[in-house]
Amino acid sequence: MSVDVKGPPRPRMIEAFEHAAGAIAAQTPGGATGWRGSLLHIHIAPAASYEMEELDEAICVAGRGIEGDRYFSGLGTYSPKPDVREVTLIEQEALDALNRNDPPLQSGPLKIEPRDHRRNLTVRGVPLNHLVGRRFRVGEVVLRGGRLNFPCKYLEELLGLPVFLPLYNRSGLNCGIERGGIIRPGDPITMLDESE
Amino acid sequence: MSARLIMKLRVASARLTTPDVLHLSFIHPSRPELPAWTPGAHVDLRTASGKIRQYSLCGDPADRAHYEIAIKREDAGRGGSVWAHANLDVGAEAHVSAPRNNFPLRENAHRHILIGGGIGVTPMLAMAHGLVATNQDFELHFCARSEKEAPMLAEAKAICGDRLQLWLSTSGRRFDPGQLGPVRDGVHIYACGPQRLLDAVRAAAAGWPDEQIHAEVFQATLDENFKAEPFDIMLASTGAVLHVPADRSLLAVLRDHGIQMPSSCELGVCGSCVCGYRDGVVIHRDVVIPLGARQDRMAPCVSRARVSVTLDL
Repeated sequence: MSVDVKGPPRPRMIEAFEHAAGAIAAQTPGGATGWRGSLLHIHIAPAASYEMEELDEAICVAGRGIEGDRYFSGLGTYSPKPDVREVTLIEQEALDALNRNDPPLQSGPLKIEPRDHRRNLTVRGVPLNHLVGRRFRVGEVVLRGGRLNFPCKYLEELLGLPVFLPLYNRSGLNCGIERGGIIRPGDPITMLDESE
Repeated sequence: MSARLIMKLRVASARLTTPDVLHLSFIHPSRPELPAWTPGAHVDLRTASGKIRQYSLCGDPADRAHYEIAIKREDAGRGGSVWAHANLDVGAEAHVSAPRNNFPLRENAHRHILIGGGIGVTPMLAMAHGLVATNQDFELHFCARSEKEAPMLAEAKAICGDRLQLWLSTSGRRFDPGQLGPVRDGVHIYACGPQRLLDAVRAAAAGWPDEQIHAEVFQATLDENFKAEPFDIMLASTGAVLHVPADRSLLAVLRDHGIQMPSSCELGVCGSCVCGYRDGVVIHRDVVIPLGARQDRMAPCVSRARVSVTLDL
C-alpha cells in the first residue's frame, strides 16, 4: 500500500465578486436595506470532519479566511475545489425555524446548535439571502457576499440529522473578506454603501 | 460510507485491565452526551502522528456520557497501540470519531452466541450490555490464556453472570467450536479475536449459512503473494480517465486528482472509503464489503482492478 505523504492542498479561493453568482448580483440593484444585525457566535474547525470550536474572538485575514479554520489552512472537505469559502454565515432565524419544524418537512423539530451547523458565523437580524453581491461590515471587518450557501449531504451524515431539505434556501452565505481584522460575538453587522 | 464527526475527547479514566491491555474511558469536555451508538460499533482513534486506528466500544451503549475502549499493546504492531499506552493518561486529549457499526447484532434472532478471543471480547461486552437491556437470549464464550490475561473479565462476569463461559487455555479449558453443532434457525454467531479462532469457528460452523455467522477483524487479510498491477479507472460523472500505477493505491490516485474520499484505516477493514463501481473486474482485497455487495462496491484503499474499471464517482 502506498502512502500519500503530500501536505494539504493550498486553499483555492474565488474572489467573492468574481464568483458566477456574486458577479451578477453585484450588478443587480435591490435587496434589503436599513437593517442592523449582530454576531452571535464564531466557530472554526481545525480540519475536515472535526467538531466545530467556539471562539471569543477571531482573526479574519483578507482574501484568506479565519485563522485556525479548516478553509484557512486548506484542510476542509471542499478545500480542493475553488470557491468562495473564506467565511460562511448562517441566520439564527433559520435555525429557529428548524427548531419549530417550520415548514413541517420532517417528522418533528430539528434542534441545531450553533456549533453543529458548521458555518463560521451565526448571526441575528441579517438578511443573508439579500447579500450576494453586497458588501457589509461585521465589527471592523468588511465581507463580500459571494454566493448563497447550500446544504450538503456530508452535513447530514456528520450530524445524523435530515437537514438537507429543511436548510435549502436558508443555509447561509459564503463570503470573501475584503478587509481583515478581529471580530467578536456581539459585534454589530451593517450594510456598507458603495461609497464606504 | 458516511462521514463521521471527529471530536477532541478527554480521557476520564485509564487503567490496565491486564498487563498489556489499557482500558480507557472518554468524556466530551463540553457536551453531556456523546453521539449515540449500537453494540458492535467502533470508533477511530487518531494518534499524534495522524495514524488512525479502530477500536470497538466495549462499554454500555445506554451510557451516553462515556465511550470506553480497550487497547492491547502490540510492541510489534504498527505503532498506534504503543502510542496510546504511552500517551493516553487521565486528562489527556484524544481525537476520537463518532461511532460506526460494521458488526451489528441481528434483529429478530432467537439466540445470540458471542465468541470473543482475548482483546476480541471488547465488542462482545457492548453486545452483552445491549442483549441484557433488551432481555434477549445469549451466551458469551470468552477465550483467553488465563484469568490474569483476560481483558475486562470482572466486567464480563458482572454483565453476563452465568451466561459467561470462560475458556482458559492455561487451565486446559479450550473453547471447542464443535459445540456450536448443526444449524439452528434464528441463532446467530458473532466472533471476534485471533484469526485462528475465527477460522476454527468458521470451520466448525461450515454448514451454517453466512447470514448467521458474523465476524469482525481489525487486520486486513494477509496475502503476501499478491502482486499489484497497474490499471485505469474512469469517473462516471466526468468521463475522466486516471491511471493507477502498480505502486500506488486507487485511493491515493483519486486524492491526487482532487477527489475527496473519506478514509480511515486504509487497510480494507473499516469501510470508510467504499465506493460504487460498474463494468469492470475488481480485485477485492478488503475484509469489510459483504460478498453480496462486491459486484458493485469496492474499497479503493486496498482493492484494484484488472485493466480498467468505471467508478460511480
